Amino acid sequence: MQKRFIVCSQWWPALSVFITLVVIAFYVWMVAGNWIYLGWDDTVYFFSHPRMWQRFWLTAWTSTVSCLVSLVFGIPAGYALSRFSFPCRNFFATVIDLPIVVSPAVIGVFLFGITTRFPFDWVSEHYNIYIGRNVYGVLLVQFTVTCAFCARLMKATFDMIPQKFEAVSRSLGASNFRTFFKVLLPMARNGITASMIVVWARAAAEWEGLMLFVGASEGKTDIMPFAIYLDWNGGMMGWVVSMTIVCILMAVTAMAAMRLIGGKSNVW
Amino acid sequence: MFIKKALLLVLMVIGLTDAANAGPKEMLFHAGVGQRSSLNEIKQIWEKRYPDQQVNFSYKGSGYFIADITRSRQGDLFMPGEEFYMLQAQERGFVDTYNPKTDIPAYFVTVIITPKGNPKNITKIEDFAKPGIRIGMGNPKSCAIGIWHKKTFEKAGIWEAVQKNIVLSAKCIPELGNAAQHKAIDATIVWSTTAVLYLRDVEIVPIEHKYRGIIRLPVATLNFSRYKKEAENLKAFILTEEGRQIFHKHAYAIDPNIPVDSQSFCLDGTTDQDIDYLVNAARAVKDKTFPATRETVGDLIGEVERQRKTLRSGS
Repeated sequence: MQKRFIVCSQWWPALSVFITLVVIAFYVWMVAGNWIYLGWDDTVYFFSHPRMWQRFWLTAWTSTVSCLVSLVFGIPAGYALSRFSFPCRNFFATVIDLPIVVSPAVIGVFLFGITTRFPFDWVSEHYNIYIGRNVYGVLLVQFTVTCAFCARLMKATFDMIPQKFEAVSRSLGASNFRTFFKVLLPMARNGITASMIVVWARAAAEWEGLMLFVGASEGKTDIMPFAIYLDWNGGMMGWVVSMTIVCILMAVTAMAAMRLIGGKSNVW
Repeated sequence: MFIKKALLLVLMVIGLTDAANAGPKEMLFHAGVGQRSSLNEIKQIWEKRYPDQQVNFSYKGSGYFIADITRSRQGDLFMPGEEFYMLQAQERGFVDTYNPKTDIPAYFVTVIITPKGNPKNITKIEDFAKPGIRIGMGNPKSCAIGIWHKKTFEKAGIWEAVQKNIVLSAKCIPELGNAAQHKAIDATIVWSTTAVLYLRDVEIVPIEHKYRGIIRLPVATLNFSRYKKEAENLKAFILTEEGRQIFHKHAYAIDPNIPVDSQSFCLDGTTDQDIDYLVNAARAVKDKTFPATRETVGDLIGEVERQRKTLRSGS
Protein backbone atom coordinates (compact mmCIF):
# COMPACT_ATOMS: atom_id res chain seq x y z
CA MET A 1 0.00 0.00 0.00
CA GLN A 2 2.72 2.33 1.08
CA LYS A 3 4.83 1.40 -1.94
CA ARG A 4 2.00 2.00 -4.35
CA PHE A 5 1.45 5.40 -2.86
CA ILE A 6 5.09 6.31 -3.49
CA VAL A 7 4.86 5.21 -7.12
CA CYS A 8 1.70 7.24 -7.55
CA SER A 9 3.21 10.30 -6.01
CA GLN A 10 6.41 9.97 -8.00
CA TRP A 11 4.96 10.07 -11.50
CA TRP A 12 4.63 13.81 -11.60
CA PRO A 13 8.26 14.62 -10.62
CA ALA A 14 9.41 11.91 -13.02
CA LEU A 15 7.37 13.40 -15.84
CA SER A 16 8.62 16.91 -15.22
CA VAL A 17 12.24 15.74 -15.08
CA PHE A 18 11.64 13.85 -18.30
CA ILE A 19 10.22 16.95 -19.97
CA THR A 20 13.24 18.95 -18.82
CA LEU A 21 15.49 16.33 -20.37
CA VAL A 22 13.58 16.51 -23.64
CA VAL A 23 13.99 20.27 -23.76
CA ILE A 24 17.70 20.04 -22.98
CA ALA A 25 18.15 17.28 -25.56
CA PHE A 26 16.47 19.52 -28.11
CA TYR A 27 18.93 22.34 -27.51
CA VAL A 28 21.94 20.06 -27.37
CA TRP A 29 20.83 18.49 -30.62
CA MET A 30 20.52 21.93 -32.16
CA VAL A 31 24.16 22.70 -31.37
CA ALA A 32 25.36 19.21 -32.25
CA GLY A 33 23.45 19.23 -35.53
CA ASN A 34 25.10 22.46 -36.55
CA TRP A 35 28.45 21.16 -35.56
CA ILE A 36 27.95 18.00 -37.61
CA TYR A 37 26.93 20.17 -40.56
CA LEU A 38 30.16 22.12 -40.20
CA GLY A 39 32.35 19.01 -40.12
CA TRP A 40 35.65 18.55 -38.35
CA ASP A 41 38.00 19.98 -40.99
CA ASP A 42 35.98 23.16 -41.32
CA THR A 43 35.73 23.50 -37.55
CA VAL A 44 39.51 23.49 -37.33
CA TYR A 45 39.77 25.91 -40.25
CA PHE A 46 37.29 28.46 -38.92
CA PHE A 47 38.29 28.27 -35.29
CA SER A 48 41.94 28.79 -36.11
CA HIS A 49 41.21 31.71 -38.40
CA PRO A 50 42.36 35.06 -36.90
CA ARG A 51 39.16 36.75 -38.07
CA MET A 52 37.11 34.64 -35.68
CA TRP A 53 39.18 35.70 -32.68
CA GLN A 54 39.40 39.28 -33.77
CA ARG A 55 35.60 39.36 -33.77
CA PHE A 56 35.48 37.52 -30.49
CA TRP A 57 37.77 40.07 -28.82
CA LEU A 58 35.87 42.95 -30.31
CA THR A 59 32.67 41.53 -28.81
CA ALA A 60 34.37 40.80 -25.50
CA TRP A 61 35.96 44.21 -24.98
CA THR A 62 33.04 46.33 -26.17
CA SER A 63 30.64 44.41 -23.94
CA THR A 64 33.05 44.68 -21.02
CA VAL A 65 33.43 48.43 -21.40
CA SER A 66 29.72 49.10 -21.80
CA CYS A 67 28.96 46.73 -18.94
CA LEU A 68 31.37 48.56 -16.63
CA VAL A 69 30.03 51.98 -17.59
CA SER A 70 26.51 50.66 -17.06
CA LEU A 71 27.51 49.54 -13.57
CA VAL A 72 28.88 53.00 -12.77
CA PHE A 73 25.48 54.47 -13.55
CA GLY A 74 23.36 51.47 -12.63
CA ILE A 75 24.54 50.95 -9.05
CA PRO A 76 23.74 54.47 -7.78
CA ALA A 77 20.53 54.54 -9.80
CA GLY A 78 19.41 51.20 -8.45
CA TYR A 79 20.35 52.30 -4.94
CA ALA A 80 18.36 55.52 -5.25
CA LEU A 81 15.31 53.76 -6.62
CA SER A 82 15.48 51.14 -3.91
CA ARG A 83 16.13 53.31 -0.88
CA PHE A 84 14.90 56.85 -1.30
CA SER A 85 11.54 58.29 -1.99
CA PHE A 86 11.63 61.40 -4.06
CA PRO A 87 9.14 63.21 -6.26
CA CYS A 88 8.12 61.28 -9.36
CA ARG A 89 9.97 58.16 -8.19
CA ASN A 90 7.53 55.86 -9.96
CA PHE A 91 7.83 57.90 -13.07
CA PHE A 92 11.62 57.57 -13.00
CA ALA A 93 11.35 53.85 -12.37
CA THR A 94 9.11 53.55 -15.43
CA VAL A 95 11.49 55.53 -17.60
CA ILE A 96 14.37 53.35 -16.51
CA ASP A 97 12.36 50.28 -17.43
CA LEU A 98 11.69 51.57 -20.93
CA PRO A 99 14.75 50.23 -22.74
CA ILE A 100 13.98 46.77 -21.35
CA VAL A 101 10.43 46.78 -22.56
CA VAL A 102 10.76 48.42 -25.97
CA SER A 103 12.58 46.70 -28.79
CA PRO A 104 16.26 47.62 -29.25
CA ALA A 105 15.31 48.67 -32.79
CA VAL A 106 13.39 51.57 -31.27
CA ILE A 107 16.49 52.55 -29.35
CA GLY A 108 18.53 52.50 -32.55
CA VAL A 109 16.09 54.92 -34.15
CA PHE A 110 16.06 57.26 -31.18
CA LEU A 111 19.83 57.35 -31.00
CA PHE A 112 19.82 58.86 -34.48
CA GLY A 113 17.81 61.69 -33.01
CA ILE A 114 20.17 62.55 -30.20
CA THR A 115 23.50 62.04 -31.92
CA THR A 116 22.77 64.81 -34.40
CA ARG A 117 22.16 67.27 -31.54
CA PHE A 118 24.06 68.86 -28.70
CA PRO A 119 26.33 67.70 -27.13
CA PHE A 120 27.11 64.97 -29.64
CA ASP A 121 27.42 67.29 -32.63
CA TRP A 122 29.70 69.52 -30.59
CA VAL A 123 31.90 66.57 -29.60
CA SER A 124 32.14 65.39 -33.18
CA GLU A 125 33.07 68.88 -34.40
CA HIS A 126 35.48 69.67 -31.65
CA TYR A 127 37.27 66.39 -31.20
CA ASN A 128 36.64 64.96 -34.64
CA ILE A 129 35.00 61.92 -33.10
CA TYR A 130 32.28 60.70 -35.31
CA ILE A 131 29.83 58.97 -32.98
CA GLY A 132 27.63 56.54 -34.76
CA ARG A 133 29.32 54.48 -37.41
CA ASN A 134 32.30 53.31 -35.44
CA VAL A 135 33.12 51.52 -32.27
CA TYR A 136 31.85 54.49 -30.21
CA GLY A 137 28.46 53.89 -31.78
CA VAL A 138 28.60 50.25 -30.77
CA LEU A 139 29.44 51.23 -27.21
CA LEU A 140 26.66 53.80 -27.15
CA VAL A 141 24.03 51.31 -28.32
CA GLN A 142 25.22 48.67 -25.88
CA PHE A 143 25.30 51.17 -23.05
CA THR A 144 21.82 52.49 -23.82
CA VAL A 145 20.35 49.03 -23.78
CA THR A 146 22.22 47.68 -20.78
CA CYS A 147 22.26 50.69 -18.48
CA ALA A 148 18.55 50.47 -17.72
CA PHE A 149 18.82 46.75 -17.40
CA CYS A 150 21.63 47.17 -14.93
CA ALA A 151 19.75 49.74 -12.82
CA ARG A 152 16.79 47.39 -12.71
CA LEU A 153 18.86 44.45 -11.51
CA MET A 154 20.64 46.65 -8.97
CA LYS A 155 17.33 47.85 -7.57
CA ALA A 156 16.30 44.22 -7.12
CA THR A 157 19.60 43.46 -5.40
CA PHE A 158 19.35 46.36 -2.97
CA ASP A 159 15.67 45.63 -2.32
CA MET A 160 16.66 42.26 -0.95
CA ILE A 161 19.08 43.67 1.62
CA PRO A 162 17.27 44.61 4.85
CA GLN A 163 17.52 48.27 5.70
CA LYS A 164 18.36 47.64 9.36
CA PHE A 165 22.05 47.10 8.59
CA GLU A 166 22.32 50.60 7.17
CA ALA A 167 20.38 51.98 10.12
CA VAL A 168 22.86 50.37 12.52
CA SER A 169 25.81 51.68 10.54
CA ARG A 170 24.44 55.19 10.53
CA SER A 171 23.54 55.06 14.21
CA LEU A 172 27.20 54.26 14.90
CA GLY A 173 28.14 57.50 13.23
CA ALA A 174 28.99 56.50 9.67
CA SER A 175 27.97 58.86 6.90
CA ASN A 176 25.56 57.83 4.16
CA PHE A 177 28.44 57.65 1.74
CA ARG A 178 30.52 55.47 4.02
CA THR A 179 27.57 53.23 4.85
CA PHE A 180 26.97 52.66 1.16
CA PHE A 181 30.55 51.66 0.40
CA LYS A 182 31.38 49.81 3.63
CA VAL A 183 28.11 48.08 4.43
CA LEU A 184 25.74 47.94 1.50
CA LEU A 185 28.12 47.26 -1.37
CA PRO A 186 29.89 44.31 0.29
CA MET A 187 26.51 42.80 1.09
CA ALA A 188 25.36 43.27 -2.48
CA ARG A 189 28.52 41.74 -3.91
CA ASN A 190 26.94 38.51 -5.11
CA GLY A 191 24.03 40.32 -6.67
CA ILE A 192 26.33 42.76 -8.41
CA THR A 193 28.49 39.99 -9.84
CA ALA A 194 25.49 38.08 -11.05
CA SER A 195 23.95 41.14 -12.65
CA MET A 196 27.26 42.09 -14.19
CA ILE A 197 27.42 38.81 -16.05
CA VAL A 198 23.83 39.09 -17.24
CA VAL A 199 24.44 42.67 -18.35
CA TRP A 200 27.63 41.64 -20.13
CA ALA A 201 25.83 38.86 -21.97
CA ARG A 202 23.05 41.25 -22.92
CA ALA A 203 25.55 43.73 -24.34
CA ALA A 204 27.32 40.99 -26.29
CA ALA A 205 24.01 39.88 -27.81
CA GLU A 206 22.91 43.33 -28.98
CA TRP A 207 22.05 43.43 -32.65
CA GLU A 208 18.91 45.29 -33.71
CA GLY A 209 20.00 48.66 -32.41
CA LEU A 210 23.37 48.23 -34.08
CA MET A 211 21.78 47.23 -37.33
CA LEU A 212 19.81 50.46 -37.49
CA PHE A 213 22.17 52.89 -35.84
CA VAL A 214 25.68 51.73 -36.69
CA GLY A 215 25.69 49.55 -39.75
CA ALA A 216 28.72 47.34 -40.06
CA SER A 217 32.30 48.04 -40.84
CA GLU A 218 34.35 44.92 -41.20
CA GLY A 219 36.79 44.47 -38.34
CA LYS A 220 35.57 47.58 -36.52
CA THR A 221 31.95 47.29 -35.55
CA ASP A 222 31.03 43.74 -36.45
CA ILE A 223 30.50 42.20 -33.04
CA MET A 224 29.45 38.56 -33.12
CA PRO A 225 25.68 38.78 -33.64
CA PHE A 226 26.17 41.40 -36.32
CA ALA A 227 28.93 39.42 -38.01
CA ILE A 228 26.55 36.47 -38.19
CA TYR A 229 24.03 38.60 -40.02
CA LEU A 230 26.64 39.94 -42.43
CA ASP A 231 28.05 36.54 -43.25
CA TRP A 232 24.57 35.10 -43.67
CA ASN A 233 24.03 37.76 -46.31
CA GLY A 234 27.36 36.88 -47.86
CA GLY A 235 26.40 33.21 -48.13
CA MET A 236 29.26 32.20 -45.85
CA MET A 237 27.48 29.43 -43.96
CA GLY A 238 30.74 28.17 -42.50
CA TRP A 239 31.30 31.44 -40.70
CA VAL A 240 27.68 31.68 -39.66
CA VAL A 241 27.62 28.23 -38.10
CA SER A 242 31.00 28.47 -36.41
CA MET A 243 30.20 31.88 -34.95
CA THR A 244 26.83 30.72 -33.64
CA ILE A 245 28.68 27.93 -31.89
CA VAL A 246 31.07 30.45 -30.32
CA CYS A 247 28.10 32.59 -29.25
CA ILE A 248 26.43 29.65 -27.58
CA LEU A 249 29.65 28.65 -25.83
CA MET A 250 30.04 32.24 -24.65
CA ALA A 251 26.49 32.30 -23.30
CA VAL A 252 26.88 28.95 -21.57
CA THR A 253 30.14 30.08 -19.95
CA ALA A 254 28.58 33.33 -18.78
CA MET A 255 25.58 31.57 -17.30
CA ALA A 256 27.70 28.91 -15.62
CA ALA A 257 29.98 31.60 -14.20
CA MET A 258 26.96 33.44 -12.90
CA ARG A 259 25.68 30.35 -11.14
CA LEU A 260 29.08 29.64 -9.63
CA ILE A 261 29.86 33.16 -8.48
CA GLY A 262 26.47 34.57 -7.72
CA GLY A 263 24.84 31.28 -6.88
CA LYS A 264 23.53 32.55 -3.57
CA SER A 265 21.87 35.55 -5.04
CA ASN A 266 18.47 35.22 -6.65
CA VAL A 267 18.43 38.35 -8.73
CA TRP A 268 17.90 36.29 -11.82
CA MET B 1 40.15 62.48 -2.25
CA PHE B 2 37.44 60.78 -4.29
CA ILE B 3 36.61 64.00 -6.09
CA LYS B 4 40.26 64.51 -6.95
CA LYS B 5 40.45 61.04 -8.43
CA ALA B 6 37.30 61.60 -10.44
CA LEU B 7 38.64 64.89 -11.79
CA LEU B 8 41.87 63.22 -12.77
CA LEU B 9 39.92 60.53 -14.62
CA VAL B 10 37.90 63.12 -16.52
CA LEU B 11 41.06 64.95 -17.50
CA MET B 12 42.59 61.70 -18.68
CA VAL B 13 39.58 60.90 -20.82
CA ILE B 14 39.69 64.38 -22.37
CA GLY B 15 43.41 63.94 -23.02
CA LEU B 16 42.79 60.63 -24.74
CA THR B 17 40.07 62.00 -26.94
CA ASP B 18 42.24 64.96 -27.83
CA ALA B 19 44.83 62.55 -29.14
CA ALA B 20 42.21 61.13 -31.48
CA ASN B 21 42.01 64.53 -33.10
CA ALA B 22 45.02 63.88 -35.26
CA GLY B 23 43.45 60.68 -36.65
CA PRO B 24 42.73 59.89 -40.29
CA LYS B 25 39.93 61.39 -42.33
CA GLU B 26 37.11 58.95 -41.82
CA MET B 27 34.69 58.67 -44.68
CA LEU B 28 31.34 56.98 -44.23
CA PHE B 29 30.22 54.79 -47.10
CA HIS B 30 26.59 53.60 -47.21
CA ALA B 31 26.62 50.40 -49.21
CA GLY B 32 24.27 47.49 -49.86
CA VAL B 33 25.29 44.42 -47.92
CA GLY B 34 25.63 42.51 -51.21
CA GLN B 35 28.58 44.63 -52.30
CA ARG B 36 30.56 43.81 -49.19
CA SER B 37 33.25 41.55 -50.62
CA SER B 38 34.15 43.88 -53.49
CA LEU B 39 34.04 47.06 -51.44
CA ASN B 40 36.20 45.58 -48.70
CA GLU B 41 38.87 44.95 -51.30
CA ILE B 42 38.54 48.49 -52.61
CA LYS B 43 38.82 49.82 -49.07
CA GLN B 44 42.06 47.91 -48.53
CA ILE B 45 43.65 49.24 -51.70
CA TRP B 46 42.46 52.77 -50.98
CA GLU B 47 43.69 52.90 -47.40
CA LYS B 48 47.06 51.51 -48.44
CA ARG B 49 47.36 54.17 -51.09
CA TYR B 50 46.16 57.04 -48.90
CA PRO B 51 47.10 56.25 -45.30
CA ASP B 52 45.56 59.52 -44.10
CA GLN B 53 42.12 58.35 -45.19
CA GLN B 54 39.85 55.73 -43.78
CA VAL B 55 36.72 54.23 -45.26
CA ASN B 56 33.99 53.14 -42.84
CA PHE B 57 31.14 51.14 -44.26
CA SER B 58 27.60 51.02 -43.10
CA TYR B 59 26.43 47.82 -44.74
CA LYS B 60 22.69 47.35 -44.72
CA GLY B 61 19.87 46.01 -46.83
CA SER B 62 19.24 48.65 -49.49
CA GLY B 63 15.76 49.35 -48.19
CA TYR B 64 17.12 50.78 -44.93
CA PHE B 65 19.21 53.52 -46.45
CA ILE B 66 16.71 56.22 -47.22
CA ALA B 67 15.46 56.18 -43.64
CA ASP B 68 18.99 56.12 -42.30
CA ILE B 69 20.22 59.04 -44.37
CA THR B 70 17.07 61.06 -43.80
CA ARG B 71 17.46 60.69 -40.07
CA SER B 72 21.21 60.85 -39.60
CA ARG B 73 22.19 63.27 -42.39
CA GLN B 74 25.60 61.64 -42.41
CA GLY B 75 27.64 59.93 -45.06
CA ASP B 76 30.07 60.63 -47.87
CA LEU B 77 29.31 57.99 -50.46
CA PHE B 78 26.30 55.91 -51.35
CA MET B 79 26.11 52.67 -53.30
CA PRO B 80 22.73 50.93 -53.01
CA GLY B 81 21.92 47.60 -54.65
CA GLU B 82 19.53 49.13 -57.19
CA GLU B 83 19.28 52.40 -59.05
CA PHE B 84 15.75 52.79 -57.70
CA TYR B 85 17.11 53.67 -54.25
CA MET B 86 19.58 56.11 -55.75
CA LEU B 87 16.80 57.94 -57.56
CA GLN B 88 14.82 58.06 -54.32
CA ALA B 89 17.79 59.63 -52.55
CA GLN B 90 18.27 62.05 -55.40
CA GLU B 91 14.64 63.08 -55.25
CA ARG B 92 15.05 63.99 -51.60
CA GLY B 93 18.10 66.06 -52.35
CA PHE B 94 20.71 63.91 -50.61
CA VAL B 95 22.83 63.18 -53.64
CA ASP B 96 25.64 65.53 -54.55
CA THR B 97 26.95 64.19 -57.84
CA TYR B 98 25.37 61.35 -59.74
CA ASN B 99 25.39 60.98 -63.48
CA PRO B 100 23.29 57.98 -64.58
CA LYS B 101 25.23 57.70 -67.82
CA THR B 102 28.69 57.29 -66.34
CA ASP B 103 28.42 56.46 -62.64
CA ILE B 104 27.67 52.75 -62.99
CA PRO B 105 30.78 50.76 -62.05
CA ALA B 106 29.11 47.35 -62.24
CA TYR B 107 25.97 45.40 -63.10
CA PHE B 108 24.11 42.44 -61.69
CA VAL B 109 23.05 39.80 -64.21
CA THR B 110 20.18 37.42 -63.49
CA VAL B 111 20.78 33.66 -63.52
CA ILE B 112 18.75 30.61 -62.51
CA ILE B 113 20.03 28.58 -59.58
CA THR B 114 18.90 25.09 -58.59
CA PRO B 115 20.02 22.75 -55.82
CA LYS B 116 23.10 20.62 -56.49
CA GLY B 117 22.56 18.22 -59.39
CA ASN B 118 19.53 20.16 -60.70
CA PRO B 119 17.07 17.40 -59.65
CA LYS B 120 14.07 18.84 -61.52
CA ASN B 121 16.12 19.49 -64.67
CA ILE B 122 15.43 23.20 -65.03
CA THR B 123 17.01 24.55 -68.20
CA LYS B 124 14.98 27.62 -69.17
CA ILE B 125 12.56 30.21 -67.81
CA GLU B 126 9.51 28.34 -69.13
CA ASP B 127 10.36 25.37 -66.87
CA PHE B 128 9.29 27.43 -63.87
CA ALA B 129 5.68 26.98 -64.97
CA LYS B 130 5.84 23.18 -64.98
CA PRO B 131 3.55 21.66 -62.35
CA GLY B 132 5.22 20.47 -59.16
CA ILE B 133 8.28 22.71 -59.30
CA ARG B 134 8.93 24.46 -55.99
CA ILE B 135 9.93 28.06 -56.64
CA GLY B 136 11.45 30.68 -54.38
CA MET B 137 10.38 34.25 -55.08
CA GLY B 138 11.52 37.56 -53.72
CA ASN B 139 8.92 39.78 -52.16
CA PRO B 140 8.76 42.78 -54.55
CA LYS B 141 8.02 45.08 -51.62
CA SER B 142 11.24 44.36 -49.77
CA CYS B 143 13.87 43.38 -52.32
CA ALA B 144 14.76 44.27 -55.87
CA ILE B 145 14.99 40.67 -57.04
CA GLY B 146 11.24 40.29 -56.42
CA ILE B 147 10.52 43.01 -58.95
CA TRP B 148 12.71 41.18 -61.46
CA HIS B 149 10.98 37.85 -60.86
CA LYS B 150 7.65 39.42 -61.71
CA LYS B 151 9.05 41.26 -64.73
CA THR B 152 10.73 38.15 -66.11
CA PHE B 153 7.78 35.80 -65.69
CA GLU B 154 5.38 38.36 -67.10
CA LYS B 155 7.57 38.79 -70.15
CA ALA B 156 7.62 35.01 -70.59
CA GLY B 157 3.82 34.96 -70.17
CA ILE B 158 3.89 32.43 -67.33
CA TRP B 159 3.21 34.69 -64.33
CA GLU B 160 -0.18 33.04 -63.64
CA ALA B 161 1.17 29.50 -63.87
CA VAL B 162 4.19 30.33 -61.73
CA GLN B 163 1.98 31.62 -58.90
CA LYS B 164 0.90 28.05 -58.09
CA ASN B 165 4.48 26.90 -57.69
CA ILE B 166 5.68 29.51 -55.20
CA VAL B 167 6.67 27.98 -51.88
CA LEU B 168 8.84 30.77 -50.50
CA SER B 169 8.49 34.53 -50.50
CA ALA B 170 11.90 35.87 -49.51
CA LYS B 171 12.57 39.23 -47.91
CA CYS B 172 16.15 39.40 -49.10
CA ILE B 173 18.14 37.71 -51.79
CA PRO B 174 20.46 35.58 -49.59
CA GLU B 175 17.34 33.83 -48.33
CA LEU B 176 16.83 32.50 -51.86
CA GLY B 177 20.45 31.37 -52.09
CA ASN B 178 20.21 29.60 -48.75
CA ALA B 179 16.93 27.94 -49.70
CA ALA B 180 18.47 26.54 -52.89
CA GLN B 181 21.54 25.47 -50.96
CA HIS B 182 19.41 23.51 -48.49
CA LYS B 183 17.17 22.05 -51.22
CA ALA B 184 14.09 23.84 -49.88
CA ILE B 185 13.24 25.01 -53.41
CA ASP B 186 13.82 23.52 -56.86
CA ALA B 187 14.70 26.72 -58.67
CA THR B 188 14.86 30.47 -58.38
CA ILE B 189 16.33 33.46 -60.14
CA VAL B 190 19.06 35.46 -58.40
CA TRP B 191 21.85 37.88 -59.30
CA SER B 192 25.06 36.36 -60.58
CA THR B 193 26.78 37.89 -57.56
CA THR B 194 24.52 35.93 -55.21
CA ALA B 195 24.91 32.71 -57.17
CA VAL B 196 28.69 32.94 -56.91
CA LEU B 197 28.49 32.68 -53.12
CA TYR B 198 26.99 29.19 -53.21
CA LEU B 199 29.11 27.51 -55.88
CA ARG B 200 29.52 24.26 -53.96
CA ASP B 201 25.85 23.70 -53.25
CA VAL B 202 23.96 25.02 -56.27
CA GLU B 203 23.91 24.59 -60.05
CA ILE B 204 23.90 27.67 -62.24
CA VAL B 205 21.69 27.75 -65.30
CA PRO B 206 22.20 30.65 -67.75
CA ILE B 207 19.10 32.52 -68.88
CA GLU B 208 18.58 33.20 -72.58
CA HIS B 209 19.21 36.79 -73.66
CA LYS B 210 15.66 38.05 -73.92
CA TYR B 211 14.91 37.15 -70.28
CA ARG B 212 18.34 38.00 -68.87
CA GLY B 213 18.10 41.10 -66.69
CA ILE B 214 20.91 43.62 -66.40
CA ILE B 215 20.69 45.62 -63.18
CA ARG B 216 22.59 48.86 -62.82
CA LEU B 217 24.58 49.43 -59.67
CA PRO B 218 25.13 53.15 -59.14
CA VAL B 219 27.57 55.03 -56.94
CA ALA B 220 27.29 58.68 -55.86
CA THR B 221 28.63 61.18 -53.38
CA LEU B 222 26.31 62.71 -50.82
CA ASN B 223 25.54 66.29 -49.91
CA PHE B 224 26.44 65.87 -46.23
CA SER B 225 29.93 64.71 -47.09
CA ARG B 226 32.56 66.00 -44.68
CA TYR B 227 35.45 65.23 -47.02
CA LYS B 228 34.02 66.10 -50.41
CA LYS B 229 37.28 65.99 -52.33
CA GLU B 230 38.31 62.63 -50.91
CA ALA B 231 34.86 61.18 -51.53
CA GLU B 232 34.95 62.34 -55.15
CA ASN B 233 38.37 60.74 -55.56
CA LEU B 234 37.20 57.45 -54.13
CA LYS B 235 34.18 57.46 -56.40
CA ALA B 236 36.41 58.17 -59.37
CA PHE B 237 38.62 55.26 -58.35
CA ILE B 238 35.66 52.88 -58.17
CA LEU B 239 34.77 53.92 -61.72
CA THR B 240 38.25 53.31 -63.11
CA GLU B 241 39.17 50.11 -64.91
CA GLU B 242 41.08 49.00 -61.79
CA GLY B 243 38.04 49.53 -59.57
CA ARG B 244 35.73 47.74 -61.98
CA GLN B 245 38.07 44.76 -62.18
CA ILE B 246 37.60 44.22 -58.45
CA PHE B 247 33.86 43.92 -59.00
CA HIS B 248 34.52 41.52 -61.86
CA LYS B 249 36.30 39.18 -59.44
CA HIS B 250 33.00 38.78 -57.59
CA ALA B 251 30.86 37.95 -60.64
CA TYR B 252 29.57 41.42 -61.48
CA ALA B 253 29.37 42.35 -65.16
CA ILE B 254 31.52 45.41 -65.76
CA ASP B 255 31.30 46.13 -69.47
CA PRO B 256 30.16 49.77 -69.56
CA ASN B 257 28.15 49.25 -72.75
CA ILE B 258 25.79 46.31 -72.35
CA PRO B 259 22.96 46.79 -74.86
CA VAL B 260 19.59 46.51 -73.11
CA ASP B 261 15.95 47.11 -74.07
CA SER B 262 13.64 49.59 -72.35
CA GLN B 263 12.93 47.08 -69.56
CA SER B 264 16.64 46.46 -68.96
CA PHE B 265 16.61 42.97 -70.48
CA CYS B 266 19.75 42.01 -72.34
CA LEU B 267 19.82 42.35 -76.13
CA ASP B 268 22.94 40.44 -77.11
CA GLY B 269 25.68 38.16 -75.85
CA THR B 270 27.91 40.73 -74.15
CA THR B 271 27.52 38.97 -70.81
CA ASP B 272 27.76 35.39 -72.18
CA GLN B 273 31.43 35.06 -71.35
CA ASP B 274 30.89 36.09 -67.72
CA ILE B 275 28.04 33.60 -67.32
CA ASP B 276 30.18 30.83 -68.83
CA TYR B 277 32.87 31.60 -66.29
CA LEU B 278 30.27 31.38 -63.54
CA VAL B 279 28.98 27.98 -64.72
CA ASN B 280 32.54 26.69 -64.94
CA ALA B 281 33.34 28.07 -61.50
CA ALA B 282 30.43 26.09 -60.04
CA ARG B 283 31.85 22.96 -61.66
CA ALA B 284 35.37 23.72 -60.48
CA VAL B 285 34.37 24.08 -56.83
CA LYS B 286 32.42 20.82 -56.83
CA ASP B 287 34.95 18.83 -58.87
CA LYS B 288 38.58 19.22 -57.83
CA THR B 289 39.81 17.65 -61.07
CA PHE B 290 38.23 20.42 -63.14
CA PRO B 291 40.98 22.88 -64.01
CA ALA B 292 40.46 26.30 -62.41
CA THR B 293 42.46 28.63 -64.63
CA ARG B 294 42.04 32.08 -66.11
CA GLU B 295 40.75 30.42 -69.30
CA THR B 296 37.99 28.42 -67.64
CA VAL B 297 36.80 30.67 -64.80
CA GLY B 298 38.28 34.08 -65.67
CA ASP B 299 38.47 36.52 -62.79
CA LEU B 300 36.39 34.23 -60.59
CA ILE B 301 39.52 32.24 -59.84
CA GLY B 302 39.92 33.85 -56.43
CA GLU B 303 36.34 33.00 -55.52
CA VAL B 304 36.83 29.38 -56.67
CA GLU B 305 39.98 29.04 -54.59
CA ARG B 306 38.26 30.50 -51.55
CA GLN B 307 35.38 28.05 -51.77
CA ARG B 308 37.57 25.06 -52.52
CA LYS B 309 39.36 25.60 -49.22
CA THR B 310 36.40 24.69 -47.03
CA LEU B 311 33.30 22.56 -47.31
CA ARG B 312 31.06 25.27 -45.89
CA SER B 313 32.17 28.41 -47.57
CA GLY B 314 34.14 31.00 -45.67
CA SER B 315 36.96 33.27 -46.62
